[in-house]
Amino acid sequence: MMDTASVVDFGRPAGRRHAVWRFLRGNLKGTEYTWAVAFVVPYAAVFLTFVAYPVVYGVWMGSERGLYPELFADPIYQNTVVNTVLYLAIGVNVKLFLALLLSGFFMRPGWWMKALLLIFVLPWAVPQISTFISIHWMLNGEWGFLNNVLYTLFHVEGPHWLNDRWTALGAVIVSHIWKWTPFWTLILLAGRMAIPLDIRDTARVDGATGLRGFVYITFPLLANLYLICTLLSTIFLLGDFNAVYFVSGGGPANTTHVLATLGIRNAFDIAQPRLGVAAVMSALPLVIPLVIVLMRKLRTAEVQL
Amino acid sequence: MLRGSLALAAAKTVAFPHVVKAAATTATMWFSQGFVQDEDVVLRKIVADYEKASGNKIELSIIPFAPHRQKIISAITSDVVPDIMQSEPNEILQLYAWQDKWVDVSDVVETQRAQFSETALTASQAYNNVTKKRATYGVPLRAAVVPCHIWKSLVEKAAMKVEDLPKTWDAYFDFFKKVQDNLRKQGERKVYGLGFQVTASGVDPYNLFMAFLVAYGGQDVVTKDGKLHLNDPKVKQAAIKAAAYLGGAYRDGYVPPSAINWNDADDNNAFHAKLMVMDVDGTLSTEVAIKEKHPEWYFNEIVTHGVPGYPNDNAGNPVPSIVNITNGLIPKGAKNVTVAKEFLKYFIQPKVIGEFVELGLGRWLPVMPSLAKSPFWQNPKDPHLKGYVQQGLLGPTRPDYYVFNLAMAEVRAQHVWSMPMIEVAREGVKPEVAVDKAFKRIEEIFSKYPMA
Repeated sequence: MMDTASVVDFGRPAGRRHAVWRFLRGNLKGTEYTWAVAFVVPYAAVFLTFVAYPVVYGVWMGSERGLYPELFADPIYQNTVVNTVLYLAIGVNVKLFLALLLSGFFMRPGWWMKALLLIFVLPWAVPQISTFISIHWMLNGEWGFLNNVLYTLFHVEGPHWLNDRWTALGAVIVSHIWKWTPFWTLILLAGRMAIPLDIRDTARVDGATGLRGFVYITFPLLANLYLICTLLSTIFLLGDFNAVYFVSGGGPANTTHVLATLGIRNAFDIAQPRLGVAAVMSALPLVIPLVIVLMRKLRTAEVQL
Repeated sequence: MLRGSLALAAAKTVAFPHVVKAAATTATMWFSQGFVQDEDVVLRKIVADYEKASGNKIELSIIPFAPHRQKIISAITSDVVPDIMQSEPNEILQLYAWQDKWVDVSDVVETQRAQFSETALTASQAYNNVTKKRATYGVPLRAAVVPCHIWKSLVEKAAMKVEDLPKTWDAYFDFFKKVQDNLRKQGERKVYGLGFQVTASGVDPYNLFMAFLVAYGGQDVVTKDGKLHLNDPKVKQAAIKAAAYLGGAYRDGYVPPSAINWNDADDNNAFHAKLMVMDVDGTLSTEVAIKEKHPEWYFNEIVTHGVPGYPNDNAGNPVPSIVNITNGLIPKGAKNVTVAKEFLKYFIQPKVIGEFVELGLGRWLPVMPSLAKSPFWQNPKDPHLKGYVQQGLLGPTRPDYYVFNLAMAEVRAQHVWSMPMIEVAREGVKPEVAVDKAFKRIEEIFSKYPMA
C-alpha cells in the first residue's frame, strides 16, 4: 500500500525528501495528518471546481490576442469604458458618503430610530430585479409614474428619462445608490458601534463634539473600514449587471452599457462568447490592483476598525 | 404466423411511418417556452404521442427565450450538447453551421420535401466554412413573418375606417399619421399613429427596417450566392428611403418617444396599452397574448393588416415578406442521433406539424403550404389568421438574408441597420450620411465571412 509520503517523495534526494515531508506535515502527528487531509480535500475540490476552473477557463477564453483589437475598435466599447468609470466613481463614492452620514444619523437613540432603520433597509432587502424593472417603468416617458406625477401636479411634460444617454446613465446610478446605500449604512453603523464608548466620552470631555468629534475621532477610527468598504464596493460594482440591464437596458442605442452588460451582449446577443469574456477581462488591470490593496488592508495588524 | 407478423409490422409502419420501435432509448431536447401556455402544451402532447408510439423517451426542457439562447451558445461553446435543439435565435443554424457544429439532416427533410415551402427548404440550409459547401442542417418546424397589428377601435375613434386603408406602402403608413392627427384634435394626449421600433435592442428593429428596405426595392441587398450588393443604386436608394421614412416618422412625432429605447416586449406592451394605433411586429403574439383575457379585443377591436397581407409597394407591386423559419437541429456530439432524427421525422409529418401550430393558437405559421388551407387558418370569423397565413405562406415570401450569408446575422445582432433610423430620428442626421456609415460597417462585417 502506498503511504502518504510516497506521493511527494519520488525523484528527490532523501534529505530534501524529508524536508518537504516535514514542511507538509508541520506539527501534525499520527492520524492527525490523515484527518487534516480529509478535511482539506473537499474544500480543495470545491475550490478547484468552482473557483479555479471557471477563472482559468475564462482567462483561456479571453486569451486570444486578436480579440482585443476588435474589442477596442468597437465604438460601443469605448462608450462603455467611460460609462463604467463614471458608474464606479459616482456610484461608489456617493453611496458610501451617504452611508457614512446616515450611519451617524442611525446612531441616535430611541425606538423610533430602530423602526426607521427597518424601513430604511427595505430597498436592500427586496429582490433587485423586480425593483429595477419597476424603476424602468416608472421612468417611461409616456406613461411612467414620475412624468404622470409631474403632469398632474404641475402640468409639466417630464423628459424622456431613458431616451438620453446621460439621463439614462444617471437613472442607473441613482437606482444603484438607492438599492445599496442601506447595506453599506448597516456596515458602517456596525463600525461606529464598535468604537469604544470611553473613547467617545473622553473626546467629548475634551470638547470634541459634533463635527469636531466626527473629524478627529470617529472618521479616523472608521477610515480603514471605509476604505475597505470602498474597495469591496468597487469590485462588486464592476461586476454589476442588474441595474444597467433592467433600468436602461444598455440603451438608448447601446450608449449606457457597462463592461458587465457589454460582456453579456457580446457573448449571447452577438453569439461571440470569447469577445464577451474579453470585454469583462479588460477590467482586470483595474481589478487586480484593487484586490491587492484590499488584501493588504485586510492584513493590517494595527488595531483599527 | 410469420406472414401474420410481417403484416402486423407493415400495418404499424403505415400507421406511424417514421416510428420504428427499437430498444427503448432516450434523447434530450431543448425548446423555447411559448408566449402562451398552449404552445408548451401542444409541444408536450407531441412528445408524449411520439413516446407512446415509439417506446423511446424524449427528455424535453422548455426554457424561457433569453436563457435558452444563452444555454445554446454555452452548450455549443463547451461541447456539452443535447440531442435536439431549436434554432433560437433562428440564425444560430447558420452561425454554427459555419463552424461545422451540426449533423446533416437532409435525410430527415427528404421525408417531407414535397410538402415544405421553397422558403422553408432554403432556410434549412447553411454554408459550412469547414467543408466549403452548403448543406441541410435544419428541419423546418414553424415560420413567422412580421405583420401589421392595428387598433380598429382607435381608427374608428378618429372618424376613419380600416376599410379605407390604402393598398400601397407609404400611403398605408401615412394613413395612421392622419389617425393620430385626428385623435390629437379630440384631446388624446398620448396616442401615436405608428409603433415603429426605432431602437437598437432585440430583433424587432432589424425586421422593421428590412420590411421597408424590401418594400422600397432593396431586396437584392444579399443574393442567394451570399454576395453583398451595397453598390447597387437600387439597394442604396431603398436603404435611404427606409431610414428617412422610419426616422422621419419618429422625428415628426408619430412614433412614441420611448420607442428609441424599446426592447422586443416593449412595443407589445405599448400596443396593448393603446399607446399607438398600429405596430409592425413579428408573429401574432400581440393578438394571441390577449385572446383569452380580452376576446372582445381579439375579435372586434384589433385587426391584422387591414388589407390582405402586406400593402403593395409604391408602384403597386406585391411586397415579399421576409420569413423566419424555426428549425430543429441536431448538434455534433449528440449522444442519440438516431432517436433525434426519428423524432424529427415524426414531428414533421403534416398532421403533427399542422397540429403544432394550430394548437399553439396560430402564433406561428406552418411551413407547408397545404396546411394553410385548413379550416383553422381560413376561419372567416377570425380577423387575424387568414391575413397572416396569406402574408407568410401563400403570398410572395423570401427567407431572411442571414440564410445566404452568416454576416447578416452579425449585422442584425449588432443592430447596424438600427443606427440610420436612430440617427435620423434622434439627431436629425441626413439619411444619406447615416446609411453610408451603416454600409461601411456592414462591409467590415461581411469581410469577416468570406465564402467560397
